[in-house]
Amino acid sequence: MPGATKSSPASLHDVELCALAAAGQRQAFGELVRRHGSAVRGLLRRMGAQPAEADDVAQDAFLTAFERIAEFRGEGAFAGWVKRIAARAYLRRLQKERRIGALAAESVEEEERAPAGDSDGRIDLDEALKGLSPAERLCVSMCFGAGLSHAEAAEALNLPLGTVKSHVKRGLEKLRARLAPAEGAVLEGRRGNA
Amino acid sequence: MLEAEFERRLERLFADAPELPDATAFAARVDRKLDRGWMARRWLIGAAGGAGGVIGASQLMMTNIFTRVEDASESARVITSSLGQVRSSPDWMSAMTGGGSVVWVASGLAILAMAFALRRVIEEI
Repeated sequence: MPGATKSSPASLHDVELCALAAAGQRQAFGELVRRHGSAVRGLLRRMGAQPAEADDVAQDAFLTAFERIAEFRGEGAFAGWVKRIAARAYLRRLQKERRIGALAAESVEEEERAPAGDSDGRIDLDEALKGLSPAERLCVSMCFGAGLSHAEAAEALNLPLGTVKSHVKRGLEKLRARLAPAEGAVLEGRRGNA
Repeated sequence: MLEAEFERRLERLFADAPELPDATAFAARVDRKLDRGWMARRWLIGAAGGAGGVIGASQLMMTNIFTRVEDASESARVITSSLGQVRSSPDWMSAMTGGGSVVWVASGLAILAMAFALRRVIEEI
């Protein structure tokens, strides 16, 4: 029944759902939350948020996204747009609670912790990120997970651009060392599980 | 491996987030929060619209009444002298064709505002 398929939110593209949500259809926005909720929460956890905190921030991010849905023009992916909202909201929370400075000053032994692999020696991204310092983790996640540029990340973090670039560079080097030998296997493993 | 290639792969790894087991519960929580906010907003807008309409309409009516009272006192002599020339149609008919039309428009607006507010209340119930 084509009519029924067309009206089902689950069958619509994100851009169509956004247009419906902008017209006030809450059901359409609910579908967007169902589709991308895990990705947003996952990003916040990768940035270093505890699960409960990540859920809180993600909820607020989706509420903000609904408020501002008319601003979303469909130029990029909806998930990326919400992730940027969520990442900025998390940073605001960190700044409000004065935790940014503490993160940047956290000890080096945290950085040097060896990531745990599974029985096949595979290391997933979450494990590899644990080997980064909190500041590196935050910067790498913002740039590669939320899609912010270095300059945008620096502005959001209220840090000098050079500092952010250094954090990203060091973080990438560590990730490359941890992921590079096994990343093919990781990807194969994910495909196998899919 | 080239740096750019590794960065693209990293972006893909970030984008490849696993579905969390409580994804449905999370979506339901967001839904409930939206519901609460939406309901409160609709009430607020409805109440503000109704109150604004009533106040605006009553202001229009009151202004018109005061103006008419002043006009009436000033022109009482003229009215009295010309009473004999006035046709037998009632006063409210002349009010409708002259400044009295504002009263009718204001009353209409007030009724519309009340109807709008009533409809919103019925919708919410």
